[in-house]
Amino acid sequence: MIDIRKVSYSYDNKVSALKNINIKVQEGEAVALVGVNGSGKSTLMKLINGLISPTSGKFIFDGEEINSKKLHDEKFSKAFHKKIGFVFQNSEAQLFCSNVYDEIAFGPRQMGMNEEEVEKRVEDTLKLLKIEELRNRQPYHLSGGEKKKVAIAAVVVLNPDVYIFDEPMNGLDPKTKRFLREFMIAINNAGKTILCSTHDFEYVKGVFKRAIVFSYDHTIIRDGDYEEIMGDTEFLYENNII
Amino acid sequence: MPEWLFKKDNYIPEKDSVNFINKSILSILNILTRFKLQSNAKADKLGVNDLIKLISTLVLIIFVSLSKNFTYILIADIFLLMLINFLSIDEIKYVLKVSFVMAAITLIILLPSIFLGYGNNALMITLKVFATVGFVNILSYVTKWNDLLGALKVFKVPDMFIFVLDITIKYIIVLGEFSLNLAYALKLRSVGKSISKSTSLSGIVGTMFIKSKELSEEMYGAMECRGFTGEYRVYKKFKFKLADYICIIVIAAFILAYFYLDRL
Repeated sequence: MIDIRKVSYSYDNKVSALKNINIKVQEGEAVALVGVNGSGKSTLMKLINGLISPTSGKFIFDGEEINSKKLHDEKFSKAFHKKIGFVFQNSEAQLFCSNVYDEIAFGPRQMGMNEEEVEKRVEDTLKLLKIEELRNRQPYHLSGGEKKKVAIAAVVVLNPDVYIFDEPMNGLDPKTKRFLREFMIAINNAGKTILCSTHDFEYVKGVFKRAIVFSYDHTIIRDGDYEEIMGDTEFLYENNII
Repeated sequence: MPEWLFKKDNYIPEKDSVNFINKSILSILNILTRFKLQSNAKADKLGVNDLIKLISTLVLIIFVSLSKNFTYILIADIFLLMLINFLSIDEIKYVLKVSFVMAAITLIILLPSIFLGYGNNALMITLKVFATVGFVNILSYVTKWNDLLGALKVFKVPDMFIFVLDITIKYIIVLGEFSLNLAYALKLRSVGKSISKSTSLSGIVGTMFIKSKELSEEMYGAMECRGFTGEYRVYKKFKFKLADYICIIVIAAFILAYFYLDRL
């Protein structure tokens, strides 16, 4: 599904963020992206979302190469963005509508669904995220955990094939973290592919089968079984992961 | 789990222009990149201290503006082209582009005076604009914002004014990065035809307003906790080196040239 071949990326052609990255992710996989701050995880996620294009190498999604030329084709770009849902690290930066209902309905309305279908999808999503009571609230005045749930709901409602979470547990209380963990397991069981960067290993137990570890120098130093890598404390300590 | 989550949507987007989002993203990125490049730039590209750079630029602008002598303006323009050589290729391109564009606009505005027979004056004003814009741009490339603000202190600019300018520049970057993420989020979720594009954009503006208000309140709280009582002092010391003395000599020669060519 996602095939990243020899990808490198540098900001302004000066600051290197990814070096010779090779990753293949199959449909339905749940992959944890692990590494120190500034190792390139967020850049990789931006690249998979089509927000940036590789400086060199290829990014192939569903058998089709994704590059800046293709992303300039609006129809292609929209169809591509529909398939990949991105949950930002800072939920505030993801919410721009006047109330929670409109925020979640934004995607389905864009897709041209009639108001009846939109309402059904939004209600289903509100129930799934257990935020029915927030329906008429203003997103900006919600608590951190509520904002995160609304941001996830705004992505879920588009029914993407791939979910990308950028450090989703950051700044959340333990109950919301546990809820998020259950949620990730549930959507993965529904066949969705998950890519998630995290430092909060305690709360993501049982979510991932595979882990990809990034190093200080923006390369992949390990790609394998999640439990096996998390069990290698010496390796994790050496690379400033725990 | 709702039933639709287990199925794949058979969705083909309708054609609809999202140029306004892409253009917003590009313009924010451009501003942020300029600020980042500026903050990464070597402060001592010319080896001259910030105070001398600021005073020299002001002197150059004042005397170029005062002069009515064509040769003097040409000397200033040649001096500008010599100074530009200290910059990188990208910076040279930018400085020349901005200077030429501003000069061209001035020339267009002055076109009627050329037709009325005041061609020489129009050309002189155009060259003055070219030199002035060029000098200011060079100053902005060879001096970091905070150093420049520190140099203002010597001109007895009130500390509070410097503080407000300083915070404004910092928050252009903070809020710029935040608005960039908002624009990215809007782009990623704009997967179809938007009925009202302005609504989403006004949502971003509203969110930015609330965010900036929150940030300013938080910052004021943090400053109060650190003993801020409404008074702000800028501390800046300047050391003079050989390059500074050379610069002073060049500027003095420039002033003398003004009196020699314009007044004698």
